[in-house]
Amino acid sequence: MKKLAFFLVALSLGLGAFGQAKLTLLQNKVEIDKQMKAYAAAWGKANNVDMTIITSGGDNGDMGGMLKADYAAGELPDIFVIDGPDAYAQWGNVILDQSNEKWVAQTSVPYKSPEGKVVGFPVAVEGWGMAYNADILAKAGVDPLKLTNLAAYKAAFAKIDAMKDKLGLKSVVSMAASTGMGWVTAHHNVNSYLSNGLKFGDKSIANLALAGKVDAKRLADYADWVELLFNYADKAVLTNGTYDDQVGAFMTGKAAFLHQGNWVDPNYASAKATFKAAYAPHGSSSAVTDGVFVNPPAWYVINKDSKNLAAAKKYLNDMVFTEAGNKYMVVEAGMIPAFKNIKLQPTGPLSRSIQDWAAKGKIYSWNQYLLPEAFRNDTLAPLYNQWALGQIDKKKFIELFTAAVATLKK
Amino acid sequence: MIRRAKHNLVFWTFLAPVLIAFVLVIVVPFFMGVYYSVTDWSSSAANQGGLNYVGLVNYDKSLADPKFMTSFLVTTVYTVANMIAVNVVAFSLALLVSSAIKGRNVYRAGFFIPNLIGGLVLGFVWQFIFNKAVPYIGPLIGLPGLAESQNFLLNITAFGNSFAIGGITSLVIVGTWQSAGYIMMIYLAAIQSVPVELMEAAQIDGASPARRLWKITVPMVAQAFTVTTFLTLINSFKQYDVNVSLTQGGPSVMINDQAVAGTQLLAKNIYDTAFTGANNMAQGQARSVIFFLILVVISIAQVSIGKRREVEL
Repeated sequence: MKKLAFFLVALSLGLGAFGQAKLTLLQNKVEIDKQMKAYAAAWGKANNVDMTIITSGGDNGDMGGMLKADYAAGELPDIFVIDGPDAYAQWGNVILDQSNEKWVAQTSVPYKSPEGKVVGFPVAVEGWGMAYNADILAKAGVDPLKLTNLAAYKAAFAKIDAMKDKLGLKSVVSMAASTGMGWVTAHHNVNSYLSNGLKFGDKSIANLALAGKVDAKRLADYADWVELLFNYADKAVLTNGTYDDQVGAFMTGKAAFLHQGNWVDPNYASAKATFKAAYAPHGSSSAVTDGVFVNPPAWYVINKDSKNLAAAKKYLNDMVFTEAGNKYMVVEAGMIPAFKNIKLQPTGPLSRSIQDWAAKGKIYSWNQYLLPEAFRNDTLAPLYNQWALGQIDKKKFIELFTAAVATLKK
Repeated sequence: MIRRAKHNLVFWTFLAPVLIAFVLVIVVPFFMGVYYSVTDWSSSAANQGGLNYVGLVNYDKSLADPKFMTSFLVTTVYTVANMIAVNVVAFSLALLVSSAIKGRNVYRAGFFIPNLIGGLVLGFVWQFIFNKAVPYIGPLIGLPGLAESQNFLLNITAFGNSFAIGGITSLVIVGTWQSAGYIMMIYLAAIQSVPVELMEAAQIDGASPARRLWKITVPMVAQAFTVTTFLTLINSFKQYDVNVSLTQGGPSVMINDQAVAGTQLLAKNIYDTAFTGANNMAQGQARSVIFFLILVVISIAQVSIGKRREVEL
């Protein structure tokens, strides 16, 4: 039925624009769907290309399933997005080598195939650390710049927790660990273990995990960090809350910290929040870790069998090298551009904070995507959930985490 | 002879549209699915070289997966509980709206309406009720135990943390709310077709209302029981949308020292295997073949047992 509707829409568009080049783009950022469609329509008009944008993502969207259906039907989009090695393994065979494109020189974070070819255009740069409400921290007398390791966080959380009523807080941290929010724990939080404090691009801990082993000292520190987050979170949000519950608590001043990335800026705007917000590093280590996790969340790739390769390449290049393209990415969609030549800045406070950290070069990689997605979703997510529910303790968590990682060995 | 051939031609011509559609969208995909389940099909560009026959590996792996087996157990429990709950509620409602109660037409329509709402929407609405409305109202009506939402329905586990009893109960509540109205309609039609003379004769003979219900109404609507238990059984077994929106598979439970999703029904398990995470279309296909076989066995058994109890007038 959906397909039929698409077909009819495509047909009616096609009849109207007979003779034009056609370009279909499938993407997964629901929050910029409107902006992207507006930009694509304007770009299409200027370049005489009939652009179709299809968005499938978010909590209940499923881009992977959509791609498979399209591929089976012989209608793979001209441009689509991949988010890491798992997706590349699925689609690498049909992805175009873009090594010679003009944009490549302007970015340091393209997606490279295992052979070293540049195949993916970074959609944006995103990042997370511990988002904090600077106004609340100032009132509580906590200096966010000192939040760089476990001990500092422990002291700060305890201090704020004691003043909860005075500050109007419901909990210190807004954290989510329900099964449905497994991506917060098993995708984002686990990255503290995999990459916090390591040089950008250092995959050693992830590779160790793929070999079935854990770094026991690092894991013990990390477990302390998770315990700290869980202990100071609002239990209702932690065990059963939705994304809106979790982000909403921070945006309405009910929590001093938020465990989410800069994609929550639209929520900041829609909540009409006025407090100062920024990111502090994760405190998953007893040693000082001075940086946040920054990476492109996904990359645009071009289907090498596309009938309109030239138009597809131009579409991507124009985002980087035209004023309208820059304005769309940064101002309209509020994303942090992954390209050096773009001087515009997003307006959201958290995106700005990520950009500041990146400008200082204090960034750590996203290594969670190196672990298989099924492992993160089906094995790690329920494990964190068990702990959040209070069914297992820290010791058991470490034991089960170690056992789970051991299954990764091929 | 010629006349007969002509007849046959007409019959087949009329049958053709349905038959062609049936073959194209049911029979062919079914056998293709069975074939895919013994290959390394990925439906992505990963194996462009074509499909490779891998034997029963996908079946082996599915049956060895504790998550799949947990899912089976959970689905069975859910199906049995839901089947009983829906039928009891639906039959009671049918008795209610077939009695001389005032405004019964309004009730009939009212009880049916939840069935018209999509499962996804129902799931989100009830998630709000369980997570927000109940913890809010609970203390106001003197039930402070309900206030701690983390202990409420969606998150309770039982049997040494190995069974998500709260999550399943919430699924059953929503499942019952959703389909009781529909099943009620079937019972209602059956109850209304029970001859009035039988009832009157029994009444004159001095049979109590309970006795009349048990000795006349129930045997007379036995056909309806066969249909309704069949429908509720199949629909509970195939439940997907409410599962996705209400519990999303949570809370987790612990099986053999392995944390797994506690309310992941079979349909969701199959979908997740094929599309998200595991990305294993062939194994997902193998699981749906197993799913199909079990459904066939259960429903044939159920219908033949049900048939035996029916009474012909």
